[in-house]
Amino acid sequence: MFRIVSIISFIVAFVGIGICCIVRPCCKECRWTPLAIIQRIIRIFTMLLLEQKLSPVGALRKLVSLLALLCFLILAITSFYPVLILGESIHGYWLMLHATFSPVFAICLAVLAVMYAGNHRFNKNDWPWLMHIVERVTLVKSSGEDAVAESAGLGQKTTFWLLAILTLSLILSIILSMFTFFGTDWQELLLDIHRWTALSFALVAIIHIYIIIRAKMQE
Amino acid sequence: MKKGLIVTGILLWLTFIRPVYAADDEKLLGDESDGSRAIPAHLINLYDEEIAELDKISYKILPDDKPLLPFSTRQTCGMCHSYQTISNGWHFNAVDANVVPGRPGEPWILVDTAIGTQIPLSYRPWQGAYNPEQLGITPFQFTCLFGGHMPGGGPGELESDDMDDIMRQGISGKLEINCLTCHNAHPGQDQIEYAFQISQQNFRWAATAACEFASVSGSAKKMDETYDYLMPIESEDAPTVTYRKDAFDHKNRVLFDIVREVSDERCYYCHSNLDAGTPRGDAGSNNLKRWAADEDVHLTAGLKCVDCHRNDVSHNIIRGYEGEDTASQNPLAAVTSCEGCHTEGRLGAPIPEHPGIPPVHFDKLSCTACHSGSWPEQQTILAKTSMAHRLGTLSTNKAPEALPHIYYPVFAMQGGIGAAYVGGLLDVSSEGKIGPHKLIWPAFWGSIKDDKVTPIHLEVVRKTTSKILSKAKRSRSGDWRELNDELIIESLKALQETAEGAAVYISGGKLHRLDGEGKLIACEHNAAAPYRWPIAHNVRPAAQSLGVRRCEDCHSTDAPFFFGAVAVDSPLATEKGSSKEMIAYQGINRTYARVFAFSFVFRPWLKVIALGCCGIIAGVILLYALRALACVVKTLSGRN
Repeated sequence: MFRIVSIISFIVAFVGIGICCIVRPCCKECRWTPLAIIQRIIRIFTMLLLEQKLSPVGALRKLVSLLALLCFLILAITSFYPVLILGESIHGYWLMLHATFSPVFAICLAVLAVMYAGNHRFNKNDWPWLMHIVERVTLVKSSGEDAVAESAGLGQKTTFWLLAILTLSLILSIILSMFTFFGTDWQELLLDIHRWTALSFALVAIIHIYIIIRAKMQE
Repeated sequence: MKKGLIVTGILLWLTFIRPVYAADDEKLLGDESDGSRAIPAHLINLYDEEIAELDKISYKILPDDKPLLPFSTRQTCGMCHSYQTISNGWHFNAVDANVVPGRPGEPWILVDTAIGTQIPLSYRPWQGAYNPEQLGITPFQFTCLFGGHMPGGGPGELESDDMDDIMRQGISGKLEINCLTCHNAHPGQDQIEYAFQISQQNFRWAATAACEFASVSGSAKKMDETYDYLMPIESEDAPTVTYRKDAFDHKNRVLFDIVREVSDERCYYCHSNLDAGTPRGDAGSNNLKRWAADEDVHLTAGLKCVDCHRNDVSHNIIRGYEGEDTASQNPLAAVTSCEGCHTEGRLGAPIPEHPGIPPVHFDKLSCTACHSGSWPEQQTILAKTSMAHRLGTLSTNKAPEALPHIYYPVFAMQGGIGAAYVGGLLDVSSEGKIGPHKLIWPAFWGSIKDDKVTPIHLEVVRKTTSKILSKAKRSRSGDWRELNDELIIESLKALQETAEGAAVYISGGKLHRLDGEGKLIACEHNAAAPYRWPIAHNVRPAAQSLGVRRCEDCHSTDAPFFFGAVAVDSPLATEKGSSKEMIAYQGINRTYARVFAFSFVFRPWLKVIALGCCGIIAGVILLYALRALACVVKTLSGRN
């Protein structure tokens, strides 16, 4: 069942992204000529490069982001390829590669969480309809705009915090199984949690990356 | 007058003779239980093996018979328990070609140091074991060799085609199933005597001699072809039965102390094991001491062998391995295994939690991998078994290096289960999980043709090579004679004259043959592969199972489980001291296993890093969650 759900989920996610690209292109004058597509791909690729205008902290953030992206790709491939394509559970060198990059990924996620949490803090501009309800109910008017520099959009913030929460579940479900706390039934449950959390994490991460790329392209 | 004769005849028939025939499907008195757990007193008459031709009735043995004959279990026990049904049981049906062999088990091992031979034999088609007939061993000869540790039946009752054997079998009789081997609770049941009688070819007398109320003197082996046991000659060497004077009661019945559930001691006679020491003979002070070894945890807990190894009158005993239900007709085969009892708590079995063990271990390892046999060491150790080393008999060689050399524990992929015959061929399932095994390296002379090795008959080998090989230095302890290349070359040349293909010598995991120039070359061959069989005893308690301390019990670069040395056994001086790595038998890539084992060095770091990162991320989430909560609190309190 996991295999079927995973395949369907990934298909839905990528198709959804594709439809979003077509229906709501990131720029008003975007065209779908081969040249335009190549230009867009090159531009996405250049986003991977370190910009000269970045400060040391900015450069560090970018490097950690790129490392996290690399680890994510490796972990996704090593975990989903055996399951989705080969139809078997992760084992052998796939497992070793997965286990080797997972602590690196964990460190990257922790650093990214610390570095980007401020940028992804929700503010009233993200929930105008909620603010309207609150003002009606409490009869309190808001004091003005929050001056938050480099604030991300609502979608990006939402996916950011979802990833943070899913990370906890993802790491704890596998690390706790390495201790002698849980018997076989709980071990299988933890493995299932890790599996399904990984799927959710992967889908949310894909959406998060898409939103970031889209935002950068619009800039 | 006539009426009186008729009445007398009827009374005589009722008193002395009983009809013994029964239809195959007709259940006898003792074949089906009425539910009572009490054991009926077996105060019964003894019957000899003779059956009258016409009316198929057998004859009672009376204390003043001349000559006194040995009782026949077929006729005596067979009065109430269907002998035919029992003879289809696992202990007796090896010679039945229709019986599926199931999982490979312990073979009979024929050893002849004079000709450098140590070969596993079995009538069951287990891969790697040879049918005795391939070596020219007739059923009669097989019974002479191994009958001392057999419960009778099987090859002991087969009719031989060999003229000499037919003659000898007429003198010795058939080795019937000896029900008393297992079911006699009297402490006077003497299996050593049984083995001795077998050695004298007193097959007909063996069961009688072993029981507590009779003795047998003489030897059928010394009798010539004219000997008739019904009309014995006056000779000290003629087999003679003497029953204890008080054995018979006033009705000429004898009391058998019969138990339904066999005691462990009866099983131990054929199924004892001993750690004999390291291959170099470094036995240490305690390795040979039976008292130093811990008993199986099930027995220590109060269970008996037969609590798990059960059967009904069919004697289709449960062997207790995973997947046995595919090969056995025993209805309890599926539930009387490790998992069968320990997942349901049968017989008080604790249900294991296996905390901290990833579930993949249960897909790849048998229960016995962690719980059975000796704790693995850097090198396999020598083991002795009752069947292989005649433990419990007077002629046992107690030297640790006495042949045959059985090594254990060898953690290897368990062989497939031969569960059915399809189109006349045995269908063997694919290899199963990794578990502990005992292992023996075959050594024998054979011929190779079309890449298939066939053993040469033992008698041919003995005639041809014993004089050549007698030059080899003998061992006082029963170990191999030291063979060298020259002796092997000379023997191969001598055997070449009679061999169908090219003469070869199998030993040390290699096939040795002569090249075109007459030099000895060695190569790998399937026929030289070791024969191994899974073991399950002695079971260690959970606190002594593999992995109980830490993962590195198995997952480290020097862990015996993967990287222990399996000693290679060979009489050739050039092959002594060699070994193979355990992983060669596990179907696992060696490099992968080494790298994976090495990765466990960093496992504690992984846990620390992962938990630390979780802590940081949790802190961030908590911080901003609390800020959000503060916002909500302020808003709801009316503050902006």
